[in-house]
Order: sequence, then structure tokens, then C-alpha cells
Amino acid sequence: MIYPYIIPSILALSAGVYILGLRRAEKVATYSGGLSELHSLPTHYGVFAALCCAMPALLVLVLWMIFEEKVITSMVAGNLPADLLRQSANELTLVINEVKNVAFGGFTATSGNPAIEKAAVAYMAHLTSARNMVSILVVFCSIIPAWFAIKSIGKDLRARNLVEGAVRIVLFACAGVAILTTIGIVFSVMFEALRFFQAVPLTDFLFGLQWSPQIAMRADQAGSSGAFGAVPVLTGTFLIAMIAMLVAIPIGLLAAIYLSEYASSSLRNWAKPALEILAGIPTVVFGFFAALTVAPIIRELGTALGFTVSSESALAAGLIMGIMIIPFVSSLSEDVIHAVPQSMRDGSLALGATHFETIRHVVIPAALPGIVGSILLAVSRAVGETMIVVMAAGLSANLSFNPLATVTTVTVQIVTLLVGDQEFDSPKTLAAFALGLLLFVFTLALNFFALRVVRKYREHYE
Amino acid sequence: MKASSLLVAGSLSLFMVSPAFAARDYISIVGSSTVYPFSTVVAEKYGKTSGAKTPKIESTGTGGGFKLFCGGVGVDHPDMSNASRAIKASEIKTCADNGVKEIVEVKIGYDGIAIANAKTAAKLSLTRKDIFLALAKEVPDPADATKLIANPYKTWKDVNPTLPANKIEVLGPPPTSGTRDAFVELVMETGADTLEVFKNLKKADAKAHAKAVQTVREDGAYVEAGENDNLIVQKLQSNPNALGIFGFSFLDQNADKVQGSAIEGKLPTYETIADGSYSVSRPLFFYVKKAHVEVIPGIKGYLAEFASDKAWGKDGYLADKGLIAMPDAERKQMAANVAGLKVMEMK
Amino acid sequence: MITQPNLLEPGKDLKKRYRTDRWFQRIGITAITLALAFIALLFYKIITEGYTAFIQTKIMLEVDFSEQTFAKENLAAADYPALVKKSLSELFPEVTGRNDKKLLFGLVSSGAAYKLEEMVSANPKIIGTRQKVWVPAASDVDMLMKNKIDRNAPQENRRLQDNQLAWLDNLHNQGKLEKQFNQTFFTSGDSRDPEMAGILGGVKGTFLTLLITLTLAFPIGVAAAIYLEEFAPQNHWTDFIEVNINNLAAVPSIIFGLLGLAVFINFFGLPRSTSIVGGLVLALMTLPTIIIAGRASLKSVPPSIREAALGVGASKMQTVTHHVLPLAMPGMLTGGIIGMARALGETAPLLMIGMVAFIVDIPGAISDPATLLPVQIYLWADSPERGFTEKTSAAIIMLLAFLMTMNSLAIYLRKRFEIKW
Repeated sequence: MIYPYIIPSILALSAGVYILGLRRAEKVATYSGGLSELHSLPTHYGVFAALCCAMPALLVLVLWMIFEEKVITSMVAGNLPADLLRQSANELTLVINEVKNVAFGGFTATSGNPAIEKAAVAYMAHLTSARNMVSILVVFCSIIPAWFAIKSIGKDLRARNLVEGAVRIVLFACAGVAILTTIGIVFSVMFEALRFFQAVPLTDFLFGLQWSPQIAMRADQAGSSGAFGAVPVLTGTFLIAMIAMLVAIPIGLLAAIYLSEYASSSLRNWAKPALEILAGIPTVVFGFFAALTVAPIIRELGTALGFTVSSESALAAGLIMGIMIIPFVSSLSEDVIHAVPQSMRDGSLALGATHFETIRHVVIPAALPGIVGSILLAVSRAVGETMIVVMAAGLSANLSFNPLATVTTVTVQIVTLLVGDQEFDSPKTLAAFALGLLLFVFTLALNFFALRVVRKYREHYE
Repeated sequence: MKASSLLVAGSLSLFMVSPAFAARDYISIVGSSTVYPFSTVVAEKYGKTSGAKTPKIESTGTGGGFKLFCGGVGVDHPDMSNASRAIKASEIKTCADNGVKEIVEVKIGYDGIAIANAKTAAKLSLTRKDIFLALAKEVPDPADATKLIANPYKTWKDVNPTLPANKIEVLGPPPTSGTRDAFVELVMETGADTLEVFKNLKKADAKAHAKAVQTVREDGAYVEAGENDNLIVQKLQSNPNALGIFGFSFLDQNADKVQGSAIEGKLPTYETIADGSYSVSRPLFFYVKKAHVEVIPGIKGYLAEFASDKAWGKDGYLADKGLIAMPDAERKQMAANVAGLKVMEMK
Repeated sequence: MITQPNLLEPGKDLKKRYRTDRWFQRIGITAITLALAFIALLFYKIITEGYTAFIQTKIMLEVDFSEQTFAKENLAAADYPALVKKSLSELFPEVTGRNDKKLLFGLVSSGAAYKLEEMVSANPKIIGTRQKVWVPAASDVDMLMKNKIDRNAPQENRRLQDNQLAWLDNLHNQGKLEKQFNQTFFTSGDSRDPEMAGILGGVKGTFLTLLITLTLAFPIGVAAAIYLEEFAPQNHWTDFIEVNINNLAAVPSIIFGLLGLAVFINFFGLPRSTSIVGGLVLALMTLPTIIIAGRASLKSVPPSIREAALGVGASKMQTVTHHVLPLAMPGMLTGGIIGMARALGETAPLLMIGMVAFIVDIPGAISDPATLLPVQIYLWADSPERGFTEKTSAAIIMLLAFLMTMNSLAIYLRKRFEIKW
């Protein structure tokens, strides 16, 4: 059974082919008068040969992995007795599951059907022989193209262009993953969102000033006007994100500048990773902290100063969220500030500018695109956060810009609607998908705007 | 670059395993987060004593649970769904449409809903009418009892002169929660119907009546606090004026920190909930696909463990975790249903 | 153009300018101190709450593994709970009556019976002997020993009755009640009894899942960043992709869970609740973070580097791989660190793909049902039992340890790549 080790085998084989390709290229070079006679570097020929070896083999293997289950199952199902086959496709999966359980787990068939035992034996046999065949096929698919590739190595083979072309395709494919994700996300929320808009008019959803899914708990009241207005949820989201950014941007940016420009390297070496820990503390922890430590302090303080403070406030959630996203600003900005060439600083200092002036007029403008990127990322994180808000700011949607009031955010509503106890096809649950779509469109517009601004500024600087 | 080569080696070892996915040899359960603490105890006991794999229990919420449960028959679909309410007709229909035709309904017991405050505050004795008046969005005008106005009450004393003059502040579950649904039905609706105006409204316009009695005020007196009941308990401690609404098991575990308020003169205790004199409690269920019972290993054993008296009986281990046992006759009936896999009637 | 300060007249207000500089430095220090102080505070809170979970109260029983208990062939079928009860009754012969006995047996964890079973199956020779065994005490007893239950509260307000307290004091005086290192916490999976609950399942699940996330998200993210920053033509299409990626970073994580459910489970038929699906979903979720960080660091590489490389005849690809990428690597690793840290803290997307679940058995492969440390924390934080409070904090400590180990590797790499020029 070579099958479990097939991937390492292919990799080992490709490594061998790489060396062979390299050797052959070197040999060609010696015969034709030195390395400079070759079109590409010897390593390029090696990589070219290795790619020819690994790619077809992996392709075959992946195809098999996708279809293995179906092929084997249909082979086994074909021999099952008629009474077991007379079932719907779904029930057949139960039978097959039983067969597999007997085959792998050594269970005695629960239903005690001898046909199952027989099928289990057949299943194992089919699986073993099929896998052996595939292993052989894979090895062939790697050796034969590799042989041709090595044969074709000559001084005129444009190996570098071929390899670089392949790498470019891979890079492009990786960038494409992001697009596919976007499409996938749109599709996975779209259908349910459309069903929601059949029950609740789009205008009510977009412009309604009241968000109160409680009215629509019963089916006969679904779509009571005003109950699904998304405006208060959106304003809540932006209120909390804004408070968070008011904390995170100054602290994060100042910390980044200090660490990069003033701090000794030893301070920088431990302070930066220490700040990064903040990004990884589970949000439940922040949530408890915000709800049980910060919120009561704010309430006491506010009451002492004569404000009406609800026990759950946007301020508590926003403050703690701001602290959570500090590393998004500090670490990423620190990297880009650090990467500003020293010569630019030296030039400025040599002209007599103080350190602060250098930072303000030279370093920051140079690092600006990266800093804006880090801030955008932090905003995104703030908009998408759930647990802290659930715990510290509550779930009631108030249309209010008062940081001392209870507000809620889009993500919080999505989560509570999706994991609630109501029927899954009620407009209430579907509202989660509509909210998801709305947030998606909204942030898309914001990002588009941000790109425009950044672009404009960047061109100005260069 | 030693570290990165280590990483590469580690990731390679991932691919050493055979890529075929083994068959499912464990039970898969989904559903309500309220039933989760009880079914997990049974699952663990069953797993440890039988030597079989411990069932996998997801906490998805009742609605999400039924969505998965009704997805169809087959290994990719869960075998059971926990629920904090009975299955609805529309869900049965979805199930049937997807081929899930034989469902066994099992009621496992009752869950009390407590209205509690911190130990440092005075114990309250409330009636459902008080609670309704304190929490409803619209209440009868004190000047003219036939008219409904937006809730004017600020303190408990305004609602009922015998209560303390504390600000009304109740931390409770959001409207998506089954606990909230049960609270509204058992407390708010019954509380409202003690008032003349709602009795009349019920006869005149059932829809308007339902809307009026089910709507909770949104001006900050009722705080939607999420479903983490531990958090509510801790928030109550830091805010002695507030009341909280949560499951009985949390009251039971935190008896040194919070105290339940009496409702209609009855305190929430195991005994009062079990004999029905404390009226705010609701049944809990789970549902089983009959088609899976024979073929997924362990379902029968798990069912037997759940339906045994040492689990859901009056002195069973589930009672220790806060589940209120059913009366003897009902329990016997349920155990017989489980043993015989009595299928629900399709409406 | 930004207006430059007048640098030609140095003496004019030099003092003021230096003062501004010092002030700026002080503000910077304050910002860092603030953030670090907050971390210290959080750590202090977590550790003070959680360290007690690493010790566990145990009770010493003298168990008579008499031969008649094990008369049957199958050792697993013996009545172990009865053995525990018998030993307890021997300790307190004066306790009679059904209720009192129930209270007495309630002092010992239900895990005691499993412990005895383990002992017998590990070493069947002990049958027929009397052994002194330390078995875990029930969670309530444990809480009492750790002063998390007030023993002076009135009886109806605590979960231990007066006579139970008296028995415990008795045991304590005999030296049969002791706090010991809690090995179970590191070697077992989830449990609904706090004294039996462990994090090994969560740690292993986290390891498997994050390994998948890392091996997918980091290379793909870096590759995508390189393509978009270095190779993609500057047109509307590229702008569209850039906006898209920035937007993906703001998509709530639970939506990624919905995507995972639709694509990986329903379409590709991967098994629910497994590390492989979790790893894929988290990879998609962290990808935008890594791409954005990667692009920012590529942007910060000065064009002169590229021009110099191209000038001596390197191809575009060679320029990028040999010169630009090494310089941008520290920033990319930072993106990786932050992305992975975020993946390590998330529960919401896992809800939709069935990983927020009670899973006792420890996952061995990526296709086994598994749960993650943050999920474990979330589930424990939601449990009614008092004993889970300290377990929650202890699990957080473990999560942070996991995070720091993972980060220190990346930080080591980041340091190696870092160049100041």
C-alpha cells in the first residue's frame, strides 16, 4: 500500500527530477561553451523538469480524491441486494455508512443483515485495488512527463519564461481566491436575503427607523411595519466602531512611531510582540472585562457627573474594542514606518530638522499608504466584532448617537438571529442574511471611497 | 531556516493520512442551547459506560437545529435535534418534504425560568400582573383603565405600592430566544389577562391583543442581555437594583449570589417547579429520526440511557444539573414511547 | 506639497522645537505604557482567576478490589461506582439513611469510578488487594477547598450541607483530603463535570485546524499580495479586486461560517464539525488580513530597489523573489501573526460548521470531529456549574500560551528578515 504516502512520494520524485534537470542543463552548458550559452539559469531547467513531474501527477491524484467516494460507493451499491437498493438516495447513504462502519470500524452490523457484511468485504477489496491502481497511474503520470521534460532540455529551451509563466499563473490564481470568496459570500446570503425581502419591503428595511424583531415573533405578525428598519442597527455599528477607532488610532499610531523611531531595539523587540497578544485574546475575555469591569465604572462615573447612563453602554464596548484592535494599527504601521529608508531620515536630520519634525514631515508621509491600510483593517475588524458588543452593549437597537446609551451592531444581530430558537424560515431569521448583505454593500461602498481618497493622496505625494 | 523547514515537515505529515473520510460511527445531535447542558451529561455518561464513541452535540439554537435535522435522512444529517419548544407544523412539513417522515418526539422534563436579583438586595415578591405592568410596552392608563398608553412606570413602587422604590431594570434574553418566548407566554400574557382592558380586547381583536400583550418595552427598562446566563448573574451582583431572567439551573448553582423572586407567592425551587405551583416553567424536548436508529451505532444505547430513571428521574443525575423531572406517570409514558420508538403523527 | 519648516534659521526657536520633540516622545511612551498596562491587567485578572484550575482537590479512599467484584470475564463490566460507595461507607460507618448516604457519595466525583476502572485495566494484578487511591473530589468540594464557596453562608444558600462539611473536615484532619496537581486538565477532553474536564481535545483540535489555516492562508495570501502589487496591470479590474479584499476583511466572521457551510460541507461534501472544514473557513477569513498586510509591506519597499535589480538585467520575477520579497517579509509575517491570532480567537464562524459542540473524544486526524480552544472557552463560560469559571480562565491561559508559542516562531523569522537601510 503506497497510497497513504503518495504525496510525499511525488514530492520526493520531483526533487530527484529537479536535480536531474539541473545536472543535464549544466552538462549542456559545458558542451556548448559555458553557462552564458544557456537561455536560462540551470535552476530554471531543474524547476521546469520538477514542475512537469509533479503537476500532472497531483492533478490525477486530486481528481481521484474528489471522485473516490462516488466510484467505490457505486461499485458496492451495484451489488447490494434489491431490497436494500429500493430506497431513496438519502437512505442509501445510511446503508453505505453502515457498510463502511463494518468495513473500517469492526462493528457488527446493527441490523444484522448478512448482505451488509458481504458488502463491507467487497468495499474493502474495491478500495484497496482501486487505490493501488491509482498509485501506479500517478507514478506513471509523473515519470513520463518528467522524462520528456529532461529530454527537451537544451540551450535554446526558454525554461525561465516557462517557469515564470507558471508562477505568474499561480500568483494570479491566488489573487482569484479572494474574488471567489466574495462571490461565494454574496451567493450564500443572497437567496435568503431575497426571501426576506419578499416578506418585508426593501424600503422598510433600508429606511425604517425602528429595529425590533420582537414584534415579528409570531407568524401572523411578520412584517409589521417598522419592525425591521436597519437604520438604528447601522448607526449603532458605526457609533461603536468610531469609539473604538478613537481609542485605537491614537494609541496604536503613537506606539508605532515611538517603537520605530525612538525606542531602543530591545524595548521594540519585546513591546511589539506583547502588543500583538491583544489581537489573539479571545473576544469572550474582552467581553467579560467590558461588561463586568468597565461598564460599572462608566455607570458610576456617569451617574456621579449627572448623566443618565444605561448599565450597558456603547462606550464600554467601544473602549475595549479599541484596545483589542490596537495591534492592528501599531504592528502593521510600525512595520511600514520601519521600512522607510534611513537615508530619508538622515537627509532630513542633516538639514537640521528635529526628530519630531523628521517624523512629521518625512517619515509619516512616506509611510502613509501602509498606515492607511492598517487603519482600514482595524476599522474592518471593529465592524465585524460580535462578542464584546453582545456582552457589554446589549442587544436593544436604539437610534442614538449617545455613547452612554445601549446600542447594537449588525454582526450582533446576525449572530443572535441565526442561533435563536425561532423557526429557521421565519422572516426573523432571514433578516440576518439581509443584514449581512446590507453590511457587505455598505462596507464595499466605504472601501471604494477609501481607495479613491488614498489614491488621490498617494499621487499627490509621489 | 530550520524553523520553516520544521513547519513544512509538519504540514507534510498532514497529508500522510489516508484522504478517504471514514464512515460516521458516532451519534450527531444538534439544537437548543438550553437542552445542551442536559443532553451532554447523558452523552458523556453513555460514552464512558458503554465504551462507544461519545455522541457529538452541537449547540446551534432550536431553529438552526431543526433546519439541519430536517435537511434529510442520511449520514450527512444529524440523528437528533434538541429543542426548547415543540416542533412546529411548518418544520414538520419541511422534514417530510426532505424525506424525514418518521420522527420520535421525546419530552425530557421541565426547565424553570427564574426572575432573580442579587443577594444584597431585598427579596421581591411579585405577581405576574406586576411584571406585566413593569415590562409591557403599552399598559392601561392609570387614569382611564380602558385606554392603552406607553408604559409610564419608572420604579417598582409605581407599579405596586408594596414594592420597593427601585428603578425598573430587568436583564433578560433577546426576542430570538426560546426563554424569552416562554417568559412572554407564561408571564406577560397571563399577567395581562388579569386586566379588564385586555380581556375585552381579546374578544374584540385577537391580533391586536396578541401584539399588545407580547410586546416588551424598549425604553431601556428591559435590557436585552444576550444568552450568557452567567454574565447576567454577574451583572446582577454589580447592580443590586436590577432583576434578571434566566434558567433555573443557574439560580441553583449560584444560590449564594442571587435569589429568585417569588411569583404569586411561590419561590422558584425544585419542588415548587416540579409540582407546578411555581408556574413559570416550560417543557424541553428532543427529536429522533427513526430511520437512523438501526444504522448509526449507539442511538439505542443513548436513548435507553436518557430514558432511564437514574438519568431523568426525580433523583437522577439530570435533576442535579437543574432539569425538573416529569411527574411519574408522564415519565413512564415517555419511557415507553422511547422504548417503542413511537412515531409522531404527521399533521 | 507639504510646507517645510523653516530650517535655514536654526537658532530661532530651537528650544521650542526640541521641547515639542520631547513632548512627542512622552506621549509615545504613555501610549505604549497604557496599552501594556492593559495587557498586564488582563493577564493579572485571568491568571488570578485561572491558576486554581491547575490544582484539584482529591480524596484518599481505601478501595478493596475484592475478587468477587471482578468475577465476570469482562473487567469493564464490574460495578466500579459500587466500589467507590463501599469505600466511602467504610470511612464513615456511622452514616446511614438513604439521604445521608446520597450526600456522602456526592462528595466524590463521578470520575472516581472511571479512575478505578483505569487502574484495573492498566494492572489487573491489583484485583484481590486493598489499595489506597487518590480520587477526584466533586466540584463543589473542590470549590469549597479553594474558598470559592462561602462555608459560613446559611445552609440553603450553599450546595454543600452542614453534615457534608463535617465529613470533609473529618477527612481533612485525617490527611485524606488534599489539593494536588490537576493532571486531568491536561490529559482529557471536554466533560460536563468541571473536575473531569480537560483541554487536550481543544488543544489538539486547535493545532490541527490552525495548521491547515496557516499552510493555506499564508502562502496564498503572500502570493495574492505579490500578484496584485507587482504584476497586476493598473486598471479598474485591479481596483475592483483591491476594494473587494478590503471589504472581505470587514465581513462578519459568522458570514464566513455560512460560506463554509454552503461550499465545503454542502457542495464538496466534507464532513461537518471537522478540523479540515474549520481550517478552510478560518483560512478564508484570515486571507484578507494577510493580503492587506502583505500589500502594505510591498508598497513600502522603495522603487529604487526594483529599478536597480531590473537595471542589472534581472527579470521581473527575479526582482520580486530575490529583492523585493525578502525586504517585505517582516511586514508579511506581521500580517500572518495578526491573522492567525484572530483565527485563534474566533468562535462565530465555527458555529455554522458544527464546531461549537460537545466533543469528548480527542481528535486524531483532520477528518475527526474536533473543537477549538476558543470554542471550549465559550462553552465553559456558558456553563452553569461554578467549577467551570476557573476552568474557563485556565483554558484562556492555555490559549495565550498557544498564541505566544505560535507568535514567537513568527517573530523569530521576522527578526531574521528585518533590515534597516
